[in-house]
Amino acid sequence: MRINYKILLVIPVAVFLLSAAILINQYIQTGELLKRSIDMKGGTVVTINTAESLNIDALESQLKQKFQPIVVREVRSFKGYGTVIETSTDVKAEDILAAVKAMGIDTRDNSIETIGPSLGAAFWSQAQLAMALAFIFMGIVVFVIFRTFVPSMAVIISAFGDIFMTLAFMQLFGIELSLAGLAAILMLIGYSVDTDILLTTRMLRETEDKTSDEKIKHAMKTGLTMTLTAIGALIPLLLLGLSPVITQIANVLMIGLAFDIMNTWITNVAILRWYCERKGMK
Amino acid sequence: MVLRKEGHEIMLKHWRILLLVIMVSASLLTIFLRPQYNGVQIAYVYADSPAKNVLQQGMIISQVNGVPIHSIEEWTSATKNISGEFKLKVNNNDYKFNLNSTGMGVEVNDVDRTNLDFGIDIKGGTRIILKPKENASSQMLDQIIGTLQTRANIYGLREIKFTPARGISGDYYVEVEASGVGREVVDTLLSKQGNFEAKIVKPVYLSGNKGVFDLGENKYDVEYFGNETVKISNLTVKMNDSFVLDNIDFEFVNVTQSNVLLFLGSAYKGNDIEMVYTDAQHSGIIPGKNYFEFYFGVLVSEKGAERFAKITSGIPSQLDLNSGDYYLKDTKILLYLDNQQVSDLRIASTLGGKAYTTPQITGSRESKDTALEEKLKLQTILRSGALPVSLETVSVGVISPTLGSGFIFSVAFAACLAAVVVMAIIFVRYRKLGVALPIALIGFSEVVIILGIAATNDWFIWGTALVLNSIIVMLAWWKKYEMDPTSWIGAMLIPLLGLLTWTIDLPVISGIIATVGMSVDSMIIIADETLSGSGEKKILFTIRDKIKRAFFIIFGSASTVIAAMTPLIFIGIGFVRGFAITTIIGVLVGILITRPAYAEIVESENLSSHKKEKKE
Repeated sequence: MRINYKILLVIPVAVFLLSAAILINQYIQTGELLKRSIDMKGGTVVTINTAESLNIDALESQLKQKFQPIVVREVRSFKGYGTVIETSTDVKAEDILAAVKAMGIDTRDNSIETIGPSLGAAFWSQAQLAMALAFIFMGIVVFVIFRTFVPSMAVIISAFGDIFMTLAFMQLFGIELSLAGLAAILMLIGYSVDTDILLTTRMLRETEDKTSDEKIKHAMKTGLTMTLTAIGALIPLLLLGLSPVITQIANVLMIGLAFDIMNTWITNVAILRWYCERKGMK
Repeated sequence: MVLRKEGHEIMLKHWRILLLVIMVSASLLTIFLRPQYNGVQIAYVYADSPAKNVLQQGMIISQVNGVPIHSIEEWTSATKNISGEFKLKVNNNDYKFNLNSTGMGVEVNDVDRTNLDFGIDIKGGTRIILKPKENASSQMLDQIIGTLQTRANIYGLREIKFTPARGISGDYYVEVEASGVGREVVDTLLSKQGNFEAKIVKPVYLSGNKGVFDLGENKYDVEYFGNETVKISNLTVKMNDSFVLDNIDFEFVNVTQSNVLLFLGSAYKGNDIEMVYTDAQHSGIIPGKNYFEFYFGVLVSEKGAERFAKITSGIPSQLDLNSGDYYLKDTKILLYLDNQQVSDLRIASTLGGKAYTTPQITGSRESKDTALEEKLKLQTILRSGALPVSLETVSVGVISPTLGSGFIFSVAFAACLAAVVVMAIIFVRYRKLGVALPIALIGFSEVVIILGIAATNDWFIWGTALVLNSIIVMLAWWKKYEMDPTSWIGAMLIPLLGLLTWTIDLPVISGIIATVGMSVDSMIIIADETLSGSGEKKILFTIRDKIKRAFFIIFGSASTVIAAMTPLIFIGIGFVRGFAITTIIGVLVGILITRPAYAEIVESENLSSHKKEKKE
């Protein structure tokens, strides 16, 4: 039962359009394509670590009476709970800590991070450049490796698909792009290209007398093992909730690896098959 | 035939595995080889601690009142109920302290057990990013960091690191990482430009509307027109105007009701300060009614002293009824730091018109400790000199130290869990323990090698490793075992990389996770290429061939990662760079050392199982 790969291609195209819709919708509503965390736009984050979970809603409404803007959320930290209070750089972190302490909460174990708006902007432009450069250099190397246009483009398109869709779905899940998220996106370039190179090599360079279908099946077995092991290894990292940084990396990578399965084994396969058929390979 | 081979020849045949073993051993040695102490390590001494200025960060406390201390818990319980006099054994020396109500004021950590330098996001501390307010050049940045380093040294800040950084738009930054430094220290000590100026009030007494501007040798006629305008010699000056007389900068600041014109003359600037006194004779603290006054002397240049003499000449004396001393009338010496007045002093009448080289700087604070701290800060800034530009604090991160070593333990635990998951998946897929177990082992050895490279370098260990590696590669080549140029490169390059040292922080941990993940992927490709179609009859040639093809894929994906990460080393501030460097080094270790070793393991595993099949 062979499914026509051209029909299967509908799935990644649909997800791509959906991702574009998410980003456009976000842009219309907020004027920004991506939600950025404090590190990328400037602001102050106060994190209070406690053994017990705090009442986030009560804390937020009480703090909002004194300070604006205030966002309070909770993260699992490795020693219990971390209550994250985000505000602008105009508000003094010490004042927030004092106010929280006045509510009878133990604030001794705290971390404060202030990023000035100019530095936040610098980080953001740095992040954009980093993503662009990493992607361009990856593309150049892919061209050097395969030296044929269509297969190289197939790798690059599916890597782009991974990153584009991951960024879009991060918006959907409310994951703000932070420096940690940037690291994850950059890692994703590596992981995504891994399976694509595997596939392309097996398709184009394998000399043994096999049909395309057999080659794809063989590559897919290997590739899926690779991706599944990666996802499997990320689960303990995510469950232990070691630190917000590692949790965010794990989250973004999981989303990205899920899309990578689709983009490698549908998008890239479809382009390669079409290429091989045109070239008269079996 | 194979069985009759000598042991060392079999070892040499698997020289790739031997290289891995050497690299792992060298890494373990560089990480863990260090003198071990029992006790707790001082993380921070608070300003109100009786041990301030005696004990310092990094010192190791081994005993409290004769009771040995092995852990933070023992330290906490031993110091909980202490009052009055107590003894500490620190770095094998005995110290005596007297505890007042403020408490011990010493924070401790576990003693470092490794040569790894953990970032403040793991061990706690402060990360500050300072940005020059004007355009700076890279030479200026070096100068800034030099001055900051001097200030940190004089002030007694240990474990503080200054790193220059450049944003992509060409802006320069200074990254400061320190444990146990609060924001207030940054604001008052580091980001201060430190432009010092001493100005003296110069009164000119009018009779009618005329007076004399007395600068010692030179005296100038002064005529006041009312309307806040004055003519000095042939200069017409309005209120708040600046002018230069006898090479001294003056400013016309006020006219009093008793017809005295007041000018401010600049006597000393930062570069006039030749020495800042810190000894007990020239500096100290005097308790006042409800405040503490601090003072310290500075030695100024002759030129500065001459300016002092000129400005103060011709100023009459006046008796202070409270103290019974004579002071110069209507004048004061005002000291400014970055255009903010830090102290104002009356001038003893005996100094009028004299070249005064040792003015005093004073100030007062509410408590003795804050007065001491303020004195130290001012002394520090004056001794280090001014920064070429003023700095702006653009980012401050204060991270709680509670994560500590427990965090590293948890990361290690997570890594073990991840390894179990990976092994399980691989075992389910290939049903061979000889394939699954080495993947986990090699994954760990890769982490160890990356950490070993990052650890404080040890020339001797890495040098020995380089020599051993070279011997092995040469012997293997001489014995005509199968060779490839990458292993040569790996044998030489990785020990040399070992001489690098960098801080293990969260970005680096992320980078390690990334490379180990990629490494596992590569090993799966190797295993897969070697084991695929294992039902068919195979000869040695095809296995080698398949491993070669596996390495084509592995080198391909490794080079994309290296290419993607390399530009990131050169941009940016901190985070991205640490991640990129770790990933690149990890990938290099992977393709040059660990993955070839894995291929060797899988190959011999596969060959031996083939031989069994043949025998059967």
